[in-house]
Amino acid sequence: MKRNAAIIGCGQTKHSSKRRDVNVAEMVSEAVYNALEDAQVSMREVDAFIVGNMPGFGGIAQPEQWLGDWIGAAGKPVIRIATGGTTGGSVGQGAYYPVASGLHDVVVAVAWEKHSDSKEAGATSGLLHVGLGNLFHAASYGLNLKNLMAMSMVGAAAGVAVYQAVFYMHRSGCTIEHFDMVAAKARRNAARNKYAHLQWPGCTPEDIAETELLAYPFRYGHICPASDGASAIVVAEENLARKKARRPAWYKGLASYSDEENQLQSENFGGVGVLDPSEQRGCWVSAMKAYAMAGIKDPQKEIDMAELYQPFPSQELIFAERLGLFDEGTAWMALEKGETDINGRMPLDPSGGVNATNAIGSSAMQRILECALQIMGKAEEHQVPKKVSNAVAHGWGGVTNYSTVTVLGDSPGR
Amino acid sequence: MKSESEIIDVKTLPFTANFIWATGFMMQRFIEELASRKILGVKCPGCGYTYVPPRSRCGKCYAKIEEENLVTLSGKGTLVSYTTGHVALDGQGNFIDLQEPAIIGAIKLEDADSTIFMPIEGIEPRDVVEGLKVELQWREETKGELEDIRCFKPA
Amino acid sequence: MGFIKDERPQTICVEGTWSLSSYHYKGSKLLEQYVKGLKQKKLIGSFCPGCAKVILPPRNLCGRCHRIMDGRKTVSDRGTITCYTVSPAITKGKLKVLGMDPVETGLIKDGEILIPVFVRFDGSDSNTDTILLNAEPKAVHIGMRVKVIWAKEPQGALSDFEGVEPI
Ligand SMILES: [Zn+2]
Ligand SMILES: [Zn+2]
Repeated sequence: MKRNAAIIGCGQTKHSSKRRDVNVAEMVSEAVYNALEDAQVSMREVDAFIVGNMPGFGGIAQPEQWLGDWIGAAGKPVIRIATGGTTGGSVGQGAYYPVASGLHDVVVAVAWEKHSDSKEAGATSGLLHVGLGNLFHAASYGLNLKNLMAMSMVGAAAGVAVYQAVFYMHRSGCTIEHFDMVAAKARRNAARNKYAHLQWPGCTPEDIAETELLAYPFRYGHICPASDGASAIVVAEENLARKKARRPAWYKGLASYSDEENQLQSENFGGVGVLDPSEQRGCWVSAMKAYAMAGIKDPQKEIDMAELYQPFPSQELIFAERLGLFDEGTAWMALEKGETDINGRMPLDPSGGVNATNAIGSSAMQRILECALQIMGKAEEHQVPKKVSNAVAHGWGGVTNYSTVTVLGDSPGR
Repeated sequence: MKSESEIIDVKTLPFTANFIWATGFMMQRFIEELASRKILGVKCPGCGYTYVPPRSRCGKCYAKIEEENLVTLSGKGTLVSYTTGHVALDGQGNFIDLQEPAIIGAIKLEDADSTIFMPIEGIEPRDVVEGLKVELQWREETKGELEDIRCFKPA
Repeated sequence: MGFIKDERPQTICVEGTWSLSSYHYKGSKLLEQYVKGLKQKKLIGSFCPGCAKVILPPRNLCGRCHRIMDGRKTVSDRGTITCYTVSPAITKGKLKVLGMDPVETGLIKDGEILIPVFVRFDGSDSNTDTILLNAEPKAVHIGMRVKVIWAKEPQGALSDFEGVEPI
C-alpha cells in the first residue's frame, strides 16, 4: 500500500559562475540547512538522504563520502544517484520512493554542481568519460581528424542540441528568432528569482539576437551558463506533511524512461538509429506514465505551469510539446502570443530554468523544487499569478536519452 | 560474426583534466596560519567536539561553527593508527615501488577530537606502535601552504 | 542594463589533476570490417534481424529492439542531408581539441567554415555524422543530395571517408 508523500521545504544556494568562497561540502550543506529551515524540520527528524551530482564533475569521484556529515547524514542512510543530466530529477524522484513505501518518514534530497572547481571547460573530465573510450577506439581505426574537429566544434557549442534544434525547426516551422525570445524570457524571469544565475532585467529578444553565432542555429546568448550551486528538498509522509506545511506540494505522478542514445558517441562513433533527436520518445513515454499515475487526462487543461529542462532555448519548445502541454509543432506560436510568460496561460520556466542557471547535477532537481515553490506559493517575485494546482517538472540527460517527469499538485490526488 | 565480438585493447590518447578546488574560509585560515607555525582547529559551540582542520558545520550536533570558535592546537599528538605503504601510484594508472617504505599515521593532536593523516618519519616501520607520542615537523621555511607540514616524528 | 553581477571572495585553491588517459579501455572489432569496406570504397552497415534497420557505421546492438545486429548490408555512397549546422569562421585560437589547435596544425584553414551534417545514405536507416565539403554554407539544406568524397588512395581507415559533397 503506497503512502502519500509531499515536499514540505525547499532550499537553494545563490547560483553563480564562481562560488570560490566555499568548498563543495559547505556549498551543499548550505542548501540542505536552508531546506530544513524552510520545512521547519530539525536534522534529528530526518531519516535518510538521497544525493547526487554529475559523476566526475569537479574532479571528485565520490563526493558523498566527503560531505556526508556536512549535511547531517552521519549515522543515517545515504544513497547517491547519478544519471547524467537527469541526476537531479532522479534524486528528486528518489526521495519519493522510501517515503511512499513506508520505509522512511522524512527524507532530504540534495543535488549540486560546482563547475568552478574544474579548470576544463564544461567539466570536460566527466563528460568525456562517456565517449572517451569510444573516441580512442575510433582513433585506432584512423579517425577522420577534420570530422573530429567538426564534431568538437558542435560539441563545444551545444552537442546534439544543435542538431535537435535544426530538426525541430524543420518540422515545426519555428525560427532562430523564437530561440531569441525564449532566451530573453529566461533571463528576464531569472532576474525575478533571487537564486538564479544569468539575471538580466528587461532582456529583449533583440539583445540576444546581437550576440555572436556559435554554431547555426545557436547564438552565444542562447546558451546556458555553467553554474555553481546546490538545491535541496525535504520530503515527508502525509501526517507530518500536513502538520508542518500549510500547503505541501504532493507527488502525484512520476516516471522516468530512456531511449536509444543519440549523441553519436557509441561504439561505432557516428551513427545512431534515432533519426530525429528532437523526437525524444523517452520524454513522451515518461509524461504519459506520470500523467496516468497522477490521474491527469488532458495536460493542456489540467497542468497549470511547467519547469522544463532547457539548457538550450529550442528545448523549452520541444519538451513542452513532448509533455503534451501544446499540440505538436505549436509551442513557438504559443510563445509568440505570450502564453508561456510568467503571467501567461501556460507559464514555462518562470524561474528562468536551466537556460539561466545550470548547475548540471542539480538542474533537474531545481525543476521539481521550483514546481513545489509555485504550488506552495513561495516563489516570491517569480510566483505565477494564476492558481497552481498541478505542475510538471521535467529532466533530460544521460547520453541525451534519459528523461524524468514529475507531476506535483496541491492535493495528494488518487 | 564471432570475430567481431572479440575484445581488443584500445590505445589511449593523452588527456589530463586540471582542477582547482576552493577550500572555503575555515580551511583558508588553517592554511594561512601555517606560515606562522600555528595549527588551527575549531571547538564546536554546540557539543564541544574539536575538529582539526577547522570546519564550518558540526557533523555531530549539526551546529554552525564560526570563526570565533577557532582554537590553536599544539603540534604534539598521539598515533592512533597507522599503515605502511610499499608502492605508490604514478598518476598514470601504474604502481611504482618505493625505495623506502612510507608510514602514514592517524594522529590525534592534544586537545583535538578528530584525527589527521600525515607521514611518519624518523622511525623504523617495525618500531611503530599505536599510542606513540609524535610531534609535527615544519619545513624549513613556512609559507602558508599545506606543504608547510612536512611530517610527524616521534617526540 | 545587462547581467546582474555576483562577485564573491576567492579562497585558497588546492590544485590537482586527473589523467583520463591512464585508464585502460577495451573495444570490439566492430569497425574492422567497416574500414575494410572503406578501402574498397564501399559503405557496409549493420542490419538488425529484429526491426530490419540498417545502421551506418555498423553497431553491435540495436538501440531500440535490442537484437544483436550481426547482419551486414552495403548501402549506397549517395544520400540525403537530414540535418546540418554551420560554424562561424574558425580562426586561430578559436577551437581546441585534446589540447590541439586545428588551425595551427593545418587541419583547418584559417577562417574556414565547417558544415557538420547528418546524412541518410540510400539503403540505410540512420544518420551518419560527417562534414559537407565543396559547398557554399548558404546552399546547404535538409533534403540536399550528396555523395561521399573518397580518399584518392584508400588505406582501410575511417579517414578514407573524407566527407560528402553536393551531387
Ligand atoms: Zn557539535
Ligand atoms: Zn532492431
